[in-house]
Amino acid sequence: MIRLRSASGGWKGLIEFLFPPETDRWLSVLRIGLGLQVVVYTLFLRSDWHYLFAGTGKGLVSRELGEAITSFDSPLIPKLGWLVALGGQAGISEETVLTVAWACLLCAGCFLLLGLFCRPTAIIAWFVHLCAAESGGLLAYGADNFMTTGLFYLMLSPLPDRYALDHRLVKIKPKDPQLLGFWRRVLQVHLCFVYFVGGLAKCLGNGWWNGSNLWRSLIRPPFNLISPDILVRFEYALPVLGISICLLEVGYVFFIWMKKTRFVWLVCILAMHIAIGLTMGMYLFALVMIVLNLAAFGVGSKVPFLRHYQRETTDYTDGTDKEMIHGS
Amino acid sequence: MTSKRIYAACFGVHFFLLTAVCFAGIFSLIAEGATMLPSALDRCARKGELVAASVLGKEAAASNPARRGIATYLHAAGIQAGYTFFAPNIPSYHKLILELHYSDGRVEYDSPHVSGKAAALRLDSLLDRLSNPIYEPLREVVLKMLAFSVWREHPDVEKIRAIFGSVNPPDISDFDQGKREFFQPMFSFDFSLRKEENKSAPQ
Repeated sequence: MIRLRSASGGWKGLIEFLFPPETDRWLSVLRIGLGLQVVVYTLFLRSDWHYLFAGTGKGLVSRELGEAITSFDSPLIPKLGWLVALGGQAGISEETVLTVAWACLLCAGCFLLLGLFCRPTAIIAWFVHLCAAESGGLLAYGADNFMTTGLFYLMLSPLPDRYALDHRLVKIKPKDPQLLGFWRRVLQVHLCFVYFVGGLAKCLGNGWWNGSNLWRSLIRPPFNLISPDILVRFEYALPVLGISICLLEVGYVFFIWMKKTRFVWLVCILAMHIAIGLTMGMYLFALVMIVLNLAAFGVGSKVPFLRHYQRETTDYTDGTDKEMIHGS
Repeated sequence: MTSKRIYAACFGVHFFLLTAVCFAGIFSLIAEGATMLPSALDRCARKGELVAASVLGKEAAASNPARRGIATYLHAAGIQAGYTFFAPNIPSYHKLILELHYSDGRVEYDSPHVSGKAAALRLDSLLDRLSNPIYEPLREVVLKMLAFSVWREHPDVEKIRAIFGSVNPPDISDFDQGKREFFQPMFSFDFSLRKEENKSAPQ
C-alpha cells in the first residue's frame, strides 16, 4: 500500500516536473534566436554553398560521398541529394536546386525572425538545414548538431508565440501553458545533458586542469585569433580558466535549477560562449548556444540582488505568468 | 491525462537514447586511453561502449529496420554524436600540403581553400576527421577530391603529391623559449592527373 502510494506520488511529481505551466515568452526567444541563427548560417556560407555541396568533380569534396556515408547509417536520413534528384525529374539543374535550397533556408530564417507561418517555416528550416548538414557530414561540426536540435524542438513546440506576426494577423487559440512548459523542460534537460557530458569529458583530460588545453585550443588554426605572444602574458590565468570551464559545465546540471544560483550560472555560461565566439571565431556555435540557454533558462530568470523589487511579480521559470494564464 | 502520458513516454525514450549516445562517447574516450583514468578501466569502458552501441542498434545488421529507425531519429534530432567537443584533450591539428608538379619540372605548393571563414572551419574539421583511423578507408578518395579541387585552378599541372600530416604546437613554456610548431607528415598520395593512374605511398 505504501509502495503504491509512493509510486503514485513519484508519478505525480514527474508529471508536475514535466508539465509546469509556462508562458510562451521562452518560445519567442527560441524562434527569434533560431531565425537569426539560420540567417547568419546561410549568409556565412553564401560564397561557399555550391562549392561545399556540389556533386562529384564540381566542389571541394563530393556531396555524394557525404551522402553515401550518411546512408550507411540509414537511407531514410534527409539529404540534399533527394532535392537534387527531385529537381532532376523536373529538368532543373543541380546548381539551380542548390541555389533554391539556399534561398529557401534564408527565407525560412527571415520568416522565423518575423514569426510568419511559424510552423511550416520551422519545418522547412529544420528539413533544409538537416539536408545540408547530412550531405556535408564530413564537413560538419558541433554547431550543426545544435542547430538541428534547436530547430527540431522548435517545430514540435506549440507555435506561434504571442510576439509572432501570425498571432497578430490571425486569431489563434491560446496555447496550453502546460504544453509550453513541457517543451521548455525538454530543452532545459537537454542542455543539462550537453554540459554535464561535455564537462565530464573535459574533467577526464589532464590538459584542462593545467591550462595546456586552453593554450592549444587558442593557438591552433583557425581558432588562433589571439596572438600567442599575448596569451603567454596570461600564462598563470590559463589553469584557472580551464578548471573554471570544467566546473561551470559539470556544475550546470545542479546550479542552474537552484533559484539562488541560476542567474549567476547562466551569466557565466553565456560569458563563456561569448568568449568562445570572440576569441576563437566560432560565431555560429556561440550564437546557437546563447540562444538555447536564453530560451531554456534566461526568460524569467531573476537577478538575485533585485529580488525584493520583483516580489509582487510572478516567477516565470518555475511558476507562470498569471496574467497570461488567466487571460487564456 | 492520456496525452500527458504519451508526452512523458516520448520524453523518456528521447532522453534514454540521448543517454546511450552520451555514454557511448564517454566510454569510447576511456577505452581509447585518451583520459587520465587508469588503463585498467579500458576493458570495462570498451564493454560499456558495446552495450551503449547495442542499445542504439549499432550491433544489428545495417539493413535492420530498428537500427535504421533509431539512426534516422538520432540524426533528425541532431543527437547522433555525444557532446565531447574539445575533450578530454586538444589534439594536434592537421594540414594538407599539395605539391604541384608541372610538365616543365616546376614545383609549387598549395592547399585546398574556401572563400569564407565559416567554410574554412568546416575544411579544418574534415582534415581532423581524416586523421582518425576509422576514416582510413576514405582517406585516399577524399584527398583525391581535395587535390582535384586545386587542380581545377591549375589545369596544366601534371602530378599532385598530397602530403597529409599533423602540426604539433609547442607547449606554452617551449613557446616562451622560442620553439615553434612543427609539421609531421603522416601519409602521402601521388595523383597523376594527365594519365588515369594513381599511385599511393603511405608513410
